[in-house]
Amino acid sequence: MNAKYRIERGIAVAIAIAALGSAGCGRGRKSGAGDPILIGVSLPLTGDFSEPGKGIQRGYEAWAKLVNDGGGLLGRKVVLKFLDDQSNADRVVSDYEQLIGKDKVDLVFGPFSTRLVVPAARVAEEYGMLFVEPAGAAKQVFEQGFKNLFYAAPAVASEHYNYLAKYLLALPEATRPTTAAYAAMDDPFAKGTAYGLKARLEAGGVKTLVDEVYPPSTTDFSSIAAKIAASKADIVVGGSQYQDGVNLIVALQQLSYQPKLAAFSTAPTEAEFAKAIGNKAEGILAPTGYTPQLKFPSNVEFVRAYTAQFGGPPGEDEANGYTTGQVVAAAVKAAGCAAQGECQGKLVAWVRANQVDTVVGPLRWDDKGRPQGAHMIQQWVKGKIQVVLPENLKEADLIYPKPAW
Amino acid sequence: MVSAALVVQSLVLGVLLGGLYALLAAGLTLYFGVMRVVMVAHSAFLIVAAYLAWYFHLRTGLDPLLSLPITVPLFFAAGVAMQRLLLARLHPATRTMMSVLLTFSVAVVIEGALGTLFTGSQRRIQLAYSGASLELLGARVAVVKLIAFALAAAAMLALYLVMTRSRFGQALRATIQHPEAARLVGIPTDRVVGYGFGLGLATAAIGGTALALDSTIYPSLHWRWIGPLMAIIVVGGLGSVLGTAIAAMVLGMAMSLLQIPLGTTWAQTVFYLALFATLAVRPQGFFGGRLAKRF
Repeated sequence: MNAKYRIERGIAVAIAIAALGSAGCGRGRKSGAGDPILIGVSLPLTGDFSEPGKGIQRGYEAWAKLVNDGGGLLGRKVVLKFLDDQSNADRVVSDYEQLIGKDKVDLVFGPFSTRLVVPAARVAEEYGMLFVEPAGAAKQVFEQGFKNLFYAAPAVASEHYNYLAKYLLALPEATRPTTAAYAAMDDPFAKGTAYGLKARLEAGGVKTLVDEVYPPSTTDFSSIAAKIAASKADIVVGGSQYQDGVNLIVALQQLSYQPKLAAFSTAPTEAEFAKAIGNKAEGILAPTGYTPQLKFPSNVEFVRAYTAQFGGPPGEDEANGYTTGQVVAAAVKAAGCAAQGECQGKLVAWVRANQVDTVVGPLRWDDKGRPQGAHMIQQWVKGKIQVVLPENLKEADLIYPKPAW
Repeated sequence: MVSAALVVQSLVLGVLLGGLYALLAAGLTLYFGVMRVVMVAHSAFLIVAAYLAWYFHLRTGLDPLLSLPITVPLFFAAGVAMQRLLLARLHPATRTMMSVLLTFSVAVVIEGALGTLFTGSQRRIQLAYSGASLELLGARVAVVKLIAFALAAAAMLALYLVMTRSRFGQALRATIQHPEAARLVGIPTDRVVGYGFGLGLATAAIGGTALALDSTIYPSLHWRWIGPLMAIIVVGGLGSVLGTAIAAMVLGMAMSLLQIPLGTTWAQTVFYLALFATLAVRPQGFFGGRLAKRF
C-alpha cells in the first residue's frame, strides 16, 4: 500500500539524514587549548562591493598578522578563513551557515555593506555568535532587533555630521546659515548621512529649500543643480558616494552657484577628488571616520605595521576591518575564551558593558549595537583634506564661508 | 514657489538634452527605415564612442573632439560590416524579431568587452572648461553642454543634407520607401542599405563624443539610453528622421521640466508614458508616414 511505502521511505530518509549528520560531526573540528583560533569571514571579494570588500580583508589580515607576531590571542594563533559571497545576499547567508555549522569556527567577523550585514547578522544571531561588523552604518541595520551585533566604527550614518551641525548652529546669528539644499543618492548609507544633518539643522531652525533624492544610476545632475542654484540656499549638502558627488559639484559650478558651505559624504575624501572637479575643492567638507594621522596609540602601531605589510597607508575600510578585530580581541581577552556555545554569550555581554580603545578612538555601544561616537569633519584647506572638527583633533581651522569654486 | 528663472533654466537644459537625444534617435530610426531592424546595440556603440573619446583624451591629452576624425569613419565601417556580416544574414520574414535578439547579444558583448578593458569604474573627462558657463536668455549654460548640442545639431544638419541633396540620399530614401521599386530603377539596394547602416552608426560616434564631454560613463550605461531612444522613435514615427528629431526635443524638454515638481526618479517615466499613449492613440507615431503604418 501507499501508506506503508511512505513510512518505509520516511525511515530511509531519517536514516540517511542521521548518517549524514554523524558523518558531518565526524568531520567537524574540536578546538583545544593549543589549537589556533579559527575566525570565519564572508566578504564580497568579487562583484559590486569587491573594492571595499578587499579593503576590509586587508584590514583583517593586518590585524591577524599583528596579533600573531605578538604571540597570538590567549596564547593561540589566530587563523582567518575567508569565503567570497560575490556581493550576493543569498551567498552571504549560506557562507555563514557553512562557517559556523560545518567549519565550526570559533569566532566570526562581519561582511561588508548594509545589504549583506543584515542577512549575515541573522545567521550569527541564530547560532548565538558575537557579530562585530566593519560596515553597515545605515539605521536599518539597528532596527532588526539584533542582540549580538556591534558596529565597529565611530558612528552610524545619521550621526556623521554631528560636529558640523553643532558648529553651524553655534555660529552668531549674523553669519549662521538660514537655508539649506539637500541632494542624496537613494542608498541607505549616503541618504542617511545627509538626512542626519538635515534633521539636526531643521530642528535648529535652518529652512530646507531643496530636498532631492536621485537613483544610484543618475549621471546627469544638471536639473538637480538647477533646482539648487535657483533656490539660492546658503549651504548645500550632498549624500553622495563618489562619482555622483563629483558630477553634482561640477553641475553646480557650471551654474555659478556659490554656497557658503558645501558638505558631501565620501567623495571629497578620495585622493583623486580635487582633480576631478577641476582643482576647485577648497573649502569643501566631508565627514570621515578615520584618517591615518589619528594619534590614538593603537593607530600609530596599525599604520606602521600596515604600511610595512601592504606598501601604503590604510584607508577607512582597512581601518574598520582592523577595528573589528580589536573589539573582538578585547572581548576574548576579557572573557578568557574563544569558542562556540556558552563563551559567545560572555563575549557579547562584555562588549555591551565596556569601552574598547581602537584605531578610530575609544568605542562603546548602545543596546542596539550603535556606536556612541561621532565622525570627524574634514575640509579641503590649502590643497589638501584636513581634519577641522572636533577641536581636539583638528589639523586646520574650519573655513566658513567657503571660498568661491 | 517655482521661479521663472528655474523654468527657463530647465527649458534650456531640456533643449540641450533633446538635441543629443535627437541625434542618437535619428540613427536608430534610420536602421529601422532602411532594413526594418531594431538595433538594440545602438546605445552600446554610443558608449564605445564615449570610451574612445575618453581614452583618446587620457592618452594624448588633446581635446576629445579631435577623436572624431578617427571614430566617425571607424564606426561607419563597423556599421557597414555589421550589416553585411550579421544583419543581412537574417531571414527577411523574421528579420525584425530576430534583429532584436541579435543586436541584444551584440550589446551584451560590447558591455562585457568594455568592462574587461576599462573595468566597471565610472569615468569622466576632465577638461579645462568643464565647469565654465555662459549667460544665455537669463539661464546659465555650461560650455560643454553647448558644444555637445552644437555637435549634435551639425550632425543632424549634415544627415539631413545627405538625405535630401545627394544622389546617395535619394537612393537611400527610395530604398526606404519601396525597396523593390528602387531595385527596378537600378539602385543597388544591398549596398545602399549597408551604407545607410554605416551612417546610422556614425551618428553614434558623434553622439558618444558629445556624451563624453559632460557625463560620467561606465560599461552598462547604454541600458539607460536605449529605453528612452526606443520610445522617441516610436513617438516620432518609425523611420521618420524629422519626426524623431521633434519627438526628441519635446520629450527632452518635458523630462527636464517635470524634474521640477516630480524629482529625478519619476521624471524619467515621461518617455514610457509617451510611448504607451502613442501606442494607444496613434500607433504609427505622430510624424510617421506610410512606412510606420504598413508596419
